[in-house]
This record gives sequence, C-alpha cells and structure tokens, in this order.
Amino acid sequence: MKKFSVGYVSVLTAKWIATLILLSIILVLFIYSGESIHQIGFGFLSETWNPGNGQFGMLSMLYGSMAVTTIALVIALPFSIFGAIYIAEYSPVKYRLFLKSAMELLAGIPSIVYGLIGVAVLAPLTGDLFGLTTGRTIATAGIILALMVIPTILTLCEDAFSQIPKSYRENGFALGLTRYEVLKNILLPIAKPNVMAAILLGFGRAIGETMAVMLVIGGIDKLPQPIYQLFTPGQTLTSKLGREVGETAFNSLHFSALITLGLILLLIVLTFTLVSKYISSKKFRSA
Amino acid sequence: MRFIKPKSFFSVGRLVAFCFLLFTSISCVKSGRETIKIDGSSTVTPILDKLIEVYKIQNQDVNITLNSSGSGTGINLVGEGTIQIGMSSRDIEQAELDRFKNVKFVTYPIGKDAVIAVVSSEIYDAGVKALTREQIQDIYLGKIKNWKELGGPDKSILVIDKEKSRGTRHVFMEYILGNKDAEAPGAKLVLGSNNEEQTAIAQSDVAIGMISLNWLNKDVKGLGLIIGDKTIEPNRENILNGTYPIARELFLVTNGQAEGNTKKFIDFILSDEGQKVVNDLGYVSIKN
Repeated sequence: MKKFSVGYVSVLTAKWIATLILLSIILVLFIYSGESIHQIGFGFLSETWNPGNGQFGMLSMLYGSMAVTTIALVIALPFSIFGAIYIAEYSPVKYRLFLKSAMELLAGIPSIVYGLIGVAVLAPLTGDLFGLTTGRTIATAGIILALMVIPTILTLCEDAFSQIPKSYRENGFALGLTRYEVLKNILLPIAKPNVMAAILLGFGRAIGETMAVMLVIGGIDKLPQPIYQLFTPGQTLTSKLGREVGETAFNSLHFSALITLGLILLLIVLTFTLVSKYISSKKFRSA
Repeated sequence: MRFIKPKSFFSVGRLVAFCFLLFTSISCVKSGRETIKIDGSSTVTPILDKLIEVYKIQNQDVNITLNSSGSGTGINLVGEGTIQIGMSSRDIEQAELDRFKNVKFVTYPIGKDAVIAVVSSEIYDAGVKALTREQIQDIYLGKIKNWKELGGPDKSILVIDKEKSRGTRHVFMEYILGNKDAEAPGAKLVLGSNNEEQTAIAQSDVAIGMISLNWLNKDVKGLGLIIGDKTIEPNRENILNGTYPIARELFLVTNGQAEGNTKKFIDFILSDEGQKVVNDLGYVSIKN
C-alpha cells in the first residue's frame, strides 16, 4: 500500500474515529457509574431492585438477558445456518434472488414493529397455548428475538457461502465428490470464520435489543421460580434501562445505577467478541 | 455505468441547501419571541398540550415548548432555572426542597386526577364490582391468588404493578400499602404508562391493576371501594367531593411567583375557559 494515498489516509482516519468513539463511550459510562459502584458495590448482586429504598439488585436482569439471548440463538441458529446453505447451494437460481431479498427486507424491519407483533399476537398466543395467566414471558421475548435475528444471521451466512468462487465446487465435483461432500469438506471450512462473525452479530443484536423485548417480557425484577421456568415474566438489562432511564433525575444514585447496567451490557458484548476472535484466530494458526 | 456517481450525493448544491435550512431554523428560534418552556409529568402533559393549543389561538406572539420527562425532571429543571413551568403529579419532596435551598417553589393546582383499581371486564361482569382496601392489599401482597376467594370465577389473578417511579403508583400504593415505595410481592407484571396498562388489562380476562380515571373503557372497569358499610364508586362526583380517597392534585411549579407571559398563561389555565379544557379531557377541574 502506498503510504499517503487518499485511501490510506481515509481508512486511517475512520479507524481512529471509531476507536475514539468506543473509548469515549466506555469512559463516559465509567464516570457516571462510578458513584453507584462505589456506594452499592456488591449490593448489585442481589435480587431486589427498589430505588426508593436504595436497593439496586441486578441478578434478575442479568439472568433475563442471558436467558433471552440463549433462547433466541438456540432457535435461530439451525434455521439460519441451514437456510443459508439451502439458499446458497441447493435452491434453484430463480428462487435464490427472491429468497435473499425477502430475508434482507425482514432484516430491515424496525424492532418496534416486531415488538408490536409480539404484544398483539405472540404474547396472547403463548398465553393461550400454554394456559398461562399472562403470555408476556422470558420465553416469548426469546421467540420474538429469534424471529429478529434469523434474517440477520441468515443473510450474512448466505454471503459467506456464495462468495466462495465457483471453481472450488467444480474442482470438488471433478474429483468425484458428492454435493454433500463438497459442502462438508470444502465449503464449510472456508465459510466458517464468516459464519462465526454472523453468529456474533446475531448475538449482539439479540442481547442489545430493547424495544421488542421491553414490550413482551413483563418487566418484573424477579428470578423465575424454579430458575429454569422460562414461561414466567422477567426483565433484561436493556428493558430495565428502556423503562426507567426517562423517569430518573440526572446525577442521582438511581441514574448512576442504570448507567452501571449499561456498562455491564457493554462489557458482556466486548468479552464475547474478544473471546470469539481469540478462539477463531487460534484455530486458524493450528490449521 | 455512467449514471452511478457516488460523489453526487454530497454535491455542493445539497450542502448549500442544508446550510440554508440550518440557518433559517436557527434564526426562527432566535426571533425575539419570548419562549415559555414547560417540562414534567406525563400525566399532566396531555392537559397542557390541549391548553397550549387553545391559548395559541388568541396569543400567537408567544412561543411555548412542551416536554414530557416526568415530575422529578420537571421540578429539577425549574430549580435549575432552565424552564419556566414544571408539571408535577405529586407534591414536591423534602429532598428536592433541600437541594434547591435558594429557590422559592410556587405551586399552582390546576386539576385533580383519581387513581382507580381496575379489573378486566370479564371479572367485573362475573360479579367482582367492589373490594375493600384490605382485599386489594392482600392481592398485591400475594395472599389472595384466586378470584374465587373474592366471589369471582375460579381463575388465578394476574396482578399488574407499575414501575416504582410512576406518580400513579405512588398515590395508589400510599393508600393501599401505606408506603409509595412498598414492594408488591404478589405482582406478576410490572408496566409503565397508563396506555400500556390499559392494553394489558384489556387483553387479559383475569387482570387487576391501577389506572388514571380517564383511561377506563369497556374492557377496563373501575372497582368501587368498600369503606365500612358503604361502597364508593369511582365516578366524578365522588372524586369532586373528596369521598373517593385515591386522588391527587396536579400541579404547575414555578420558581418564585410567575411573571409576565408565564403569569398570563397560568391565569388562562385557571380561568373558566382553561378549566373547561381540563374538564373536557376527563380530568377534574378545581373550579367545582
């Protein structure tokens, strides 16, 4: 690369701006959360959230965020990965364009729309189906999230497969491999890092989603009894933030505690990204 | 591919047009008109919204901005001097008075609002039309879990609570549990605005919740309160004469006595014409 070409300079600028924005977000979160971390400390690791009494326990929200994201990914991954393989490798060409653009359209629908569908259709349906007093549950939120992340993961996975040059497949067939063998032994290993990236993006979208989750999860700060009963109302970090930040006075302890929730959310996503980067880079070196 | 020119998106013409729009909008804001800034309670916002609309027909030279950030924020901003009028659906708390020692808060009651215990219409039609304070208390504490115990159908109760910061909850819980921050261990859902609560109760057929007077409808029925041997229906007469106990005054808050245009606007709200607007919106005017 030429040292001071226009492209080089603009890429460099973009890189530094992105880094600066990320650093300043973390810095601001740290500054505003300082007060609550200092005053509440391990009090965050309780179940009761009652700002009026100075109780800020976030266990139920942490649990909710994790549960909702896990449900979403468990449902979405098989559909989106197999769907992507079908669209890229098996479907007739004339359907491919249609399927792909339909999925891209779905990925672009604003989350509030999914939330409204959740409140109006999915929540009553879940309630009736399982005979619950209310259909606004952790599981409902997980299902809505799954619907939201499928298009995201699917389109990115499909790109991962369809960008592999045709000659790779032709060579495989020429060696006498079947379609399945070509897929398993040639295409999957090549597409793997991009599929991982797609999953990571889906994870990020699921754990960070606020509106849709807030509308269907029920908003109660309680751990389910028993803990694996996911058909009970709950709360996530994001829905808590979405519900309370507007009603809180700036610079109060309550506000600071909410910022701490935001900080923890960011740290979860960062950790997950770094760990998965580390794992995939390690695999590359050994391969 | 001559017709695809990514550069054209940032053309000089567009840039000039954008700058022109930016400057005109800035100069509009700065054009000598006095601005009254209002912020605060989301319960009071719809009243003020309508009042401003009516007021502006006669007073076009006044600029009024309205924001809805909650009672606490409204009072804080008045204390800091950022806005002229704060809206509040609760009294100013001691902590707020302590924080702004040099500020003389003046409150203007502009109307009354009642918070009503409501149930799904299916429960109301099945015969649960009024409850005592103790019964509602037991529901929210999780001691009563089935409508059967209250003379209703054999179905478990969907207890709907509100976010702890909501003014509506403060008033309701102050009466039912004796403390505005009291925990409600019986609650199954925690929702926010009156709007959201109304939807959830209408969707369910076994729900109980709390809501502002003018949010009742055919799916969301207000319960009477049994006090002694009398049943007090949640209607306007009982709220007006003070027999219905879960009511609150809605306030405007200013920093010192209101002056100039702010005073003119508040006088209009307190006049017969302004109070008629309050009444028409389903709140209770202070004139009665």
